[in-house]
Amino acid sequence: MGELRNVIVFALGSGRYAIELRWIREIVTLGFVTTVPTAPDALAGVINLHGAIVPVLDIIGVLDGVGGPPARQGDGALVVESDGVACALRVDQVDHVASLRFSDRGELLDAMHKPLVLLDAPALVRRALEQVAGASEREPGAR
Amino acid sequence: MSDDFAPEELAMLRQLFCTEAQDALEQVTTRVLAATGKPPAESFTEMMRVTHTLKGAAGTVGLDAMVDLSHRLESALASLARDQPPWTPAIADALVEITDGLRTFLERLAEPGSEAAASALRDRLDQLGTPRVERRTGSFRAEAAAAAAPHGDAPPTEAPQTGDLGIPTEVVADAPSEGLRLDGDPATPPLASLRVEPARIDDLMSSAGELLFDRTRIERRVQLLRTMSRDLARTRQTLHDALARVDPAIAGRGVVAEFTNAERELAGQAALLSQTTAALLDEIEALRRTIGELQRGLTRIRMESARKLFLHAARTLRALRRATGVHVELRTLGEETEFDKAVAEQLIDPITQLLRNAVAHAVEPPDERIAAGKPASATITIRARQENNLLVLEISDDGRGIDIARVRTRLVASGLWSATRAQLANDSEVLDALLGSGISVRGDADADELAGRGIGVGLVRQTVAKLGGEVKIASVPLRGTTFSLRLPLSTALAHAMLFKVGGQVYALPNVHVVDTTQVEPAATTIAVRHETVPVLRLEQLLGNGSATERRPGLIVSFAGKTLVCTVDKVVGPREIIIKPLGSLLAPLMLYAGATISGSGKVQLILDPAQLVRRAYPDAPVAAADAVSTPTVLAGRALVVDDSRAIREAMTSMLGSEGWIVDVAEDGARALQMTRQLRYDLVVTDLEMPELSGFELITRLRHDERFHTTPIVIITSRAHPEHRRRARELGVRALVAKPITRRKLLEALAAK
Repeated sequence: MGELRNVIVFALGSGRYAIELRWIREIVTLGFVTTVPTAPDALAGVINLHGAIVPVLDIIGVLDGVGGPPARQGDGALVVESDGVACALRVDQVDHVASLRFSDRGELLDAMHKPLVLLDAPALVRRALEQVAGASEREPGAR
Repeated sequence: MSDDFAPEELAMLRQLFCTEAQDALEQVTTRVLAATGKPPAESFTEMMRVTHTLKGAAGTVGLDAMVDLSHRLESALASLARDQPPWTPAIADALVEITDGLRTFLERLAEPGSEAAASALRDRLDQLGTPRVERRTGSFRAEAAAAAAPHGDAPPTEAPQTGDLGIPTEVVADAPSEGLRLDGDPATPPLASLRVEPARIDDLMSSAGELLFDRTRIERRVQLLRTMSRDLARTRQTLHDALARVDPAIAGRGVVAEFTNAERELAGQAALLSQTTAALLDEIEALRRTIGELQRGLTRIRMESARKLFLHAARTLRALRRATGVHVELRTLGEETEFDKAVAEQLIDPITQLLRNAVAHAVEPPDERIAAGKPASATITIRARQENNLLVLEISDDGRGIDIARVRTRLVASGLWSATRAQLANDSEVLDALLGSGISVRGDADADELAGRGIGVGLVRQTVAKLGGEVKIASVPLRGTTFSLRLPLSTALAHAMLFKVGGQVYALPNVHVVDTTQVEPAATTIAVRHETVPVLRLEQLLGNGSATERRPGLIVSFAGKTLVCTVDKVVGPREIIIKPLGSLLAPLMLYAGATISGSGKVQLILDPAQLVRRAYPDAPVAAADAVSTPTVLAGRALVVDDSRAIREAMTSMLGSEGWIVDVAEDGARALQMTRQLRYDLVVTDLEMPELSGFELITRLRHDERFHTTPIVIITSRAHPEHRRRARELGVRALVAKPITRRKLLEALAAK
């Protein structure tokens, strides 16, 4: 059994996920989401967060490369910060905060012993960055 | 009078008059507001002098209506000075209204309806000057109230309202209003100053703003250059490693030698590219600093003190007091803090809103206050100060504070927050949410027009965000609430052209937008001023639009190329603050940045260079893009050798690598030259008369300007002893004569 992780549990699509609290900067309700044409699906758009421009990521889009439903005003999002980069991860529903540990089989289980997918926030952000950089290389005269 | 001047001259003189009149009227207002009760005799003298001058000037420029009005104002002031009628706060209010009215009248002189405005002002001035007992109900009540109130209660400065000025005239049992306490004498003469038309400053500011677009673009190119430089170094390394694995016996010595030479050349070139890019980044940094200074300097020209804002706040609070009967006073601090004029203008509405908010929500009735141990009259304090790079404006009240628990509940009840979120959020996050939520703390049942259901406060945040700042709330139950507006010291506004595509608004730097036009459906080129230019369909690039209808088009010109971009709708020119997109989005070349609209929406700024690229796919965008021999300046080099031939050869070799070369025939001369100029590279022989190479180098290393300068030794004798000494002195490389280009490049690339 691993050590306790303080996580926030949320629902997205048909799955339930957890991210460690130490990456979470705040929980917000998305304001108007400006879409960014020609950007990869993983980038759902950008928002104005306290006067700064923050990208909104589609988690499934980052993981699978295929975009999910578009981010809309009023959707919930978790603002994570890693390596100086802040992004808003769109979620369907924020469930709760919990302290969880991995089961013997290496699964992270919630209070009801249902498995959760633990997301590594910095890796997610890095992956998103790679996808954006990749998309830009295909632009005419990019380099 | 007005026949004395030619029409243009007259127009100019009138313009000058209007500016001076605004100042003069402002002085009158200040004196009235600064006084507690009736202004002192000197103030009256000053006010009358000012209006008298105004009258004369108005006459000179032939503005008869103004002559008349100034005259009436002067008389009214004279009467009031003599206590006819006796001073009352209502009279102070009326005077302020009249001077405001006069200022508006001057601004709208050319518009229809100014006649009516002048007439209205005349009437008000007449009412002011003479005591009157009116038949209207208002004053009747006032007289009755005055008669009924025991003398002890009525504060000495409050006289029953005799002049009927159309204001509800209940005797409000205010404590004698403190008025606006201005630090410093309002009569201090202005510092020596220069009159500049605001339009000229605006032009300068907009040019400075354009620099922002240019700088952002250049920076991105340089970042790309850096990446390219690193890629090149890596590729060269790969090549190097691959070559090392080749067996010359199999591949052929000659071929391997050729490849190896080429690889060495590549190494030299990669190193130079890296050096040059580093130098370029330094230049950009310097440019950035200069632009920043320029903008700051220009903004300082437009700065005005917080006094104007404070005066406005005083006026607003006065009006609120009258309208609601609430007992509240204003305290101001930091009047000398300077604000950019544009920022100050934009802050007027937020301040008004916050004052209304405080009066509606924060201030408790007097008995509640006394029960809590507070003075019966509430105080609102506005404090302005500079903090590091920020302007901070704090509006605090000593009222009941915000019930944070209640806000938390209401946020969940209204569906804006989930219960989890409410549980996780700390107090400051709750207060933050209050700013954006449109929720009123008093509860929807009580939310009234005055406080605007909390929506007004949300607008405060949007305005401040638009200026690039932020709003914070702090609150202590029963003690009070403070709204803190933090703004950047200078707002650099760039001019952009806004347009709509696919339901979203985008921006282009206005300097590159030449004109607008109409584009026929399905057109791929269009004639613009005898030139045929390509059409770039933004509705297809940025959305799913179709080219089946006639559309507006923006004529865009960049780096000598013109194109027309079709859009859904042209919104128009706007001044915007450019915000960076952040590192995640930086690789997207199409976007140069973003801005935030007044309603808080992000609007993307397109990079015209990218649009040109897409419209002209085969052509290089600018000459610098074409691959050519480096014309980039690598730096300044000093070549020291007693042989003229060597000096010439080195000059030629270094020159073609982009260096500016100076020469010296011996060490002593070289030292002389280094005293005058700083060099980025020193190439020196060892055996020279006067001062030997090593002595020269030793001396240079003691000069802190040359402490780490790259030094290359060229010598016909390369003894181990020399090499050791060279290493000790931090010499980059020792090259044996005869010098070849290759050896030189190797030496320059060495670490």
